[in-house]
Amino acid sequence: MKRVIALALALAAFTAGTACAGSVGLGAFAGVSIPVVQEDVGQGTLFGLRAPVKLVPLLTVEPYWASSSLGNKDVTIGGLTYTREGPDETAFGLNAMLTTGGSVQFYPYAGVGTTKLERTAMDASFTTYNFGLGLGFSPVPKLSVHVRGELQMAVDNGASRKFANITAGASYALFSIL
Amino acid sequence: MKSFLGNFRIIAPAAALAALMAAGCVLVSGQFVVTYEFADFGYDPLVVSSPTALTGVEVNLNDIGDYSKHKDKLRDVVDVALVGSVTNQTGAATSVEVWMVPTPGPLLTTETAVRAAGVRLWGPLELPAGATVRITWNRSAELFVGRKALIDQIKGDGRFDLYAIGTTATYSFRVDKGALIAVLSARN
Repeated sequence: MKRVIALALALAAFTAGTACAGSVGLGAFAGVSIPVVQEDVGQGTLFGLRAPVKLVPLLTVEPYWASSSLGNKDVTIGGLTYTREGPDETAFGLNAMLTTGGSVQFYPYAGVGTTKLERTAMDASFTTYNFGLGLGFSPVPKLSVHVRGELQMAVDNGASRKFANITAGASYALFSIL
Repeated sequence: MKSFLGNFRIIAPAAALAALMAAGCVLVSGQFVVTYEFADFGYDPLVVSSPTALTGVEVNLNDIGDYSKHKDKLRDVVDVALVGSVTNQTGAATSVEVWMVPTPGPLLTTETAVRAAGVRLWGPLELPAGATVRITWNRSAELFVGRKALIDQIKGDGRFDLYAIGTTATYSFRVDKGALIAVLSARN
């Protein structure tokens, strides 16, 4: 999996260098991560960094890194409440977005990456697939603000842990590539 | 170039949709908490009065609706814990372990027989003289040493016996409101 991601990153870097009218940016985001059909994990907070690389007018690829602090979950047994601590999550990977030009953008995206979940007696890594929709607008040149909703799916042994992530963030176009 | 971009705009979402459909089984999976409460099956309190007077717990997960519901689509067991309160009924410290006999027959009553037929699942949990220790989910998850053996049983027929034993020559303790917690990863 790491090889695939490394290859994708390398490809993104290579094509960025050969693309026309592209740009490279840096952004940050934060939001909430809501577990979907997970009875042992609670809702948590999420933040991270992105580096959008616009290759051609319609396509932007975006390496990302994210960290989540997921919530605890309680189970009541015999009148006593038992709490399982929420895992800490770190994730990185690459998203590809179908972006349009203009000051307001509405874009679908998909990506692949790696997610690691850690808590007491749990340390597991998963291949992750992301599917989402984003809304971006640019209040001033080079700066864009993004709101996104995505389904993050960490696949493990024929099943998956899924998270609905809602984030808001901003990206700054550092430089253009010719 | 424009033609390529136009096609790309159609092909990419279609490919994403196809990938989503292909991953359908993965998409409709989840993690489900199953609890086997000893009290529901007449094992509360669970009294262990000496190494030759054990009380076993006959676990049959098939009696638990949440387990039966997901058993056929079970992919993995991602978390296990034994919880409850353990009270040392003597004036000497001991430690408590939980052993599993994976092929249950008549309940065993001696520590020697349990060690011969079983596998250590959990512990040791230190139990000071006269003390009551409440086992939390997190602490319990840390104390699991036979995780794979238990997971194999949960993924198998769901039928096994559990025994709590001490690690000293003599001991007497009681387990109140004991329960086994398992988190199943399964398709819906």
